[in-house]
Amino acid sequence: MAPKEGKDKDDKPVKINKWDGSAVKNAIDDAVKEVLTKKFNYVENFALMDGRLVICSIAVGVAMFALLWDYLYPFPLSKPVLIFCVSTYFVMMGILTLYTTYKEKGIFAVCIQKEGPRKDCIWEASSYLKKYDDKYNLVLAFKDSKTGAQRETSSKKSVANFVDVNGSVVHDIVENEVTRLHNSLLSERKDK
Amino acid sequence: MDVSTLFDDVKRMNKRQFLYQVLSFGMIVSSALMIWKGLMVVTGSESPIVVVLSGSMEPAFHRGDLLFLTNYPEEPVRVGEIVVFKVEGRDIPIVHRVLKLHEKENGTVKFLTKGDNNSVDDRGLYAPGQLWLTKKDVVGRARGMLSLLV
Repeated sequence: MAPKEGKDKDDKPVKINKWDGSAVKNAIDDAVKEVLTKKFNYVENFALMDGRLVICSIAVGVAMFALLWDYLYPFPLSKPVLIFCVSTYFVMMGILTLYTTYKEKGIFAVCIQKEGPRKDCIWEASSYLKKYDDKYNLVLAFKDSKTGAQRETSSKKSVANFVDVNGSVVHDIVENEVTRLHNSLLSERKDK
Repeated sequence: MDVSTLFDDVKRMNKRQFLYQVLSFGMIVSSALMIWKGLMVVTGSESPIVVVLSGSMEPAFHRGDLLFLTNYPEEPVRVGEIVVFKVEGRDIPIVHRVLKLHEKENGTVKFLTKGDNNSVDDRGLYAPGQLWLTKKDVVGRARGMLSLLV
């Protein structure tokens, strides 16, 4: 999927509404993800996103099952099945909320470094952009699966640094920022 | 003019993001559905919230009012209570008051209803040949009302 996305982006620079906070955050996140996959050739790992998709699918599946069962066996007969489905649904909602709050924590990209001297190291990129605030926090975390070491650096800059006046994300500046964070994490490791 | 930008946004998403959008929409629909089914289970009625459709219960209920119903089997219907029932073969719920009640020792009941604002009882509304209503025609008893006074 990443190469196809890259091709679309090369043809037409992505234009977003620069006053819409969530659109800006998503656009910058996409640019950061692109840098990580294209420049450093890391393979993207979808485990987090898949977890969320599975929880949502189970919840919707349970709801549809309840609908179908109630249609086939009208109300008083379907009572126990309905009780089960409704409680399962709300439990799934609770699990989903906990999952997004505690496990995902704003992480939008997880990449695994497959080649090179450091194999199977995980890079996680997460970002925060508060509502009506222009400071974009980018946190790049590095997990070495062999030694178990974990380090992260963050940069807090205004979104005005990454988005030009027309609303397009300037990839080069994003690339510089990500490279800076990436190299600082790598150099820290070398020092150890 | 906005349709093309909408499709651009969709094309930019990869399969996972698109699937997540579809699931988010499904979850909104499912939440509404689950809340309704949950209410059905809690109240024991197949239609826990109904709208008053006619002015036959004025001045108590006006057309457009919302009624909250319960249908607990351990609470029997009594004369003077307002019940919502459906005549067999017709899907329209009717909100009227119980006028007369016959109860046998084994618990089966037959009752007659009439709207407060009507001049005759409901025998004209029942199915041909039906003179009394039974428990299975009842959707629920009115417990609360929300009047928006449109």
